[in-house]
Parts: sequence; C-alpha cells; structure tokens
Amino acid sequence: MTSFRDVELLSAYLDGLLSPSDSARLESHLSSDASLRAAMDDLRAARGLLHQLPQRRAPRNFTLTPKMAGIKPPEPRAYPTLRFATVLATLLFVATFVINGLAPAVNSSFAAAPAPAYGYGGSGGSSAESAPQGAPAATEAPNLPFAAISPTEVTPSANQFLAPTATAPTEAPSTKSAAPGLGNGAPSRVPNEAPVPFVWQIGLAIITVIFGAAAWLIRRTSENKFRKQWK
Amino acid sequence: MDEPALITSAQRGDLDAFNTLVLHYQDALFNTALRILGDDDLAADATQDAFLSAFKNLNSYRGGSFKAWLHRTVTNVCYDELRRKKRRPTTPLEPDTSDGDEMDSPRWLADKSMSPEQKFEADELEHAIQHCLDALPNDFRAVVVLADIQNLAYSEVASATRVPLGTIKSRLARARLRLRECLQGFGELLPASYRLDKEPQ
Repeated sequence: MTSFRDVELLSAYLDGLLSPSDSARLESHLSSDASLRAAMDDLRAARGLLHQLPQRRAPRNFTLTPKMAGIKPPEPRAYPTLRFATVLATLLFVATFVINGLAPAVNSSFAAAPAPAYGYGGSGGSSAESAPQGAPAATEAPNLPFAAISPTEVTPSANQFLAPTATAPTEAPSTKSAAPGLGNGAPSRVPNEAPVPFVWQIGLAIITVIFGAAAWLIRRTSENKFRKQWK
Repeated sequence: MDEPALITSAQRGDLDAFNTLVLHYQDALFNTALRILGDDDLAADATQDAFLSAFKNLNSYRGGSFKAWLHRTVTNVCYDELRRKKRRPTTPLEPDTSDGDEMDSPRWLADKSMSPEQKFEADELEHAIQHCLDALPNDFRAVVVLADIQNLAYSEVASATRVPLGTIKSRLARARLRLRECLQGFGELLPASYRLDKEPQ
C-alpha cells in the first residue's frame, strides 16, 4: 500500500530534490516494494507526458505601445514657458476689458462725491467758474478715437451733459492752471479716456495669439516626431 | 540578451528594452496562461494584461528570477480571470465545425511541420492533457504547469505562486497523482512509452 507521504517522496525524488540519505533510503524501499516501483513509474510517466506537451507559439506579439504603457510624448522645453505666457497674456487681455468696463462707474461715483468736498475747501467759486469750460471739453469727446469706438466709453460724457454741475469738478484738471488747489488725484480721472488704451489691447491680443500658436506648434511637432519613432 | 541591463533600462521607462524582454518571454507566458485557463483567447488577453501589469510594476522587481517574477504576474492575472469566470460563467466561443459542433481542440495553431497523423495524435494528446489539467483545482494546476510544463525550479514556483516550498512539493505530488489517474482514461491516446496501464497496488 502506497501512502501519500510515499507519493510525495517519490515526486521529490523524481525531481532530484531528496537529500542523498533520503534518496538512498527510498531506493532501498523501491528495490523491495513492487507497488512503490509501480507508483513511481506512473508518476514518472505523468511527469514525462507534461514535459512532452508541445509549447505553443504566441498567437501574436505582446509588445506594448507607448499608448498602452501610458507613455506620453516628451514635453518640449519651451512649452511650459509659452503656455504660461499665453495664459498670462489672455488674463491681461480680459482684464483690460474689465478695467475699461468698470471705468465709467468709478468715474460717475467719483464725480458725485467730490462736489461737497470742493465746497468746504473754499474753492467752490473757482470750480463753478470752471464749469462752463468743462462743458466744452466734454463736447469734444466724440472727436476722441476711443469714445467713437466704444459706446460704453461715451457714457461718461453723456452723464456730463445730463448733470453738468456734478461733473464740473471732474473737469477741473483741464483747467488745472485756473484752479491749482483742487489736488493731485484729478488728472487721472479724465472721463473721455479709457484707462487701458486700445493699442494695448490689440498688442495683448497679438501676443496671446502668437504665444498660443507657438506653444501649439512646438507641441504638435514633438508629438509627430514621437509617433514616427514608434511606428 | 543582456537580461539584467534590459530590466534596468525598462525600470527607467525604456519601452524598447521592455519589449525585447516581452519578445523573449511571450511564448512561455502565453503557454502558462493557456494551460491554466484552457482557452486561447483568454490566454492571449491574460498574457497581454500580464505584460502591461509587469511594465507598470517593474520597480517592484527586486532581483532574483525574472522569469519567475513574470510568471507570478501572469498567474495572478489567470487567477483573476478564473474568479471572474466562476462569478459569470459564459458559453465558450470555440470555433465550430461545418456540422455546427464545437471543435475539440484548436488546430489552427498547430505546428505545420507535422504530418496530418502526427498532428492528429498531438492534438488528441494535448486535448487529453488539457482536459486533465482543467480537472485540477486552480492552485494545483498552477503549480504543475509552472513546474512540469514551464520547468521552473521549485523555488521559482514558490516565488511565482507565493506559496511555501513545502506546500509546493505537496501540491505537485498531489497534482501528478491526480493527473496520472485522469490520464489513465485516455490510455489509447497516449504514446506507448507513456502508457499508464499499471494500477498502483
């Protein structure tokens, strides 16, 4: 009767994994035990059949493509800089519209507030005198290029027509020589000029397009080169 | 093939180096998957998944037998597939003959250098062995495939299956015993030198 322990020993013996002393003991049993010999012949035959099993060739190549492996084309060195420049130029470009759009509101609120301030400054008389001069200045607005291009920028001058007394102090800068006591903040609040000139906006738009196109182009070139390499 | 250099390059992300290793081991891994899963298409998918997984986890290879490490990957993929099959049993998509019967064994991949008779016998023998392998429990099958078909050393089988060496010895003995009993049913198909006509006493 062959036990499983015997089968385990026979299996290891067939693979040459028994120690010399264990092998010698098993060999002596094999010479005297016919059932053990039969079991070993069967195991050897089964093992031999498995070794005989033909090795199939792989039905196709299992090589990996960069896409399968999740490898992306290398990023050109200049790409991050160009991308950052494009984003920055875009943000600045958008910001110019925001600033120009907010300018009329700032002007009008600013225009309403200073009136009493000039009053107790003791120079009310001079500002009142300057009002008639301010009005003609406003009428000149349509001649300015920015007022003609952007309707929103016309609004301040329109406000001045509707409320000449309120806007009069803001016109003071144009008569600065006549009213020197009005302060330094006035010159920056000329209602007819957009805070960001149109030329700047055009320049930023061009920069955005050029940087964006350059970034796209170098990246595309790099990707094409990468694809050709793996074709 | 300078295997250590290729592995080092592949670990640095060199896909060409890894693909050289793939070409070298793809037949072995495909055969392992085929014998464990018993299906050509599943074996091909498992082999591809195994190589992909191997590339992604290449840095976890810390030396030793690369062949055993790759076989561990493919064995794991096969175990996953067997578990999936158990959860969702499907009808096998084996090619049909003109009679509408399923072909017993896929012959379109057989060695063309064989004569029709040899091919027939080889197909039948292969079918008989695969049938008996399929009848083994998964753990036993993986051990016998790696040890007796892929000729891995016991230590490599232990590494590939993450099972202690003693358990490998035991499982291999049991698997051979069961295969012997199963193959006795195919006595006529077996080559004369391998006839298992002696019953254990």
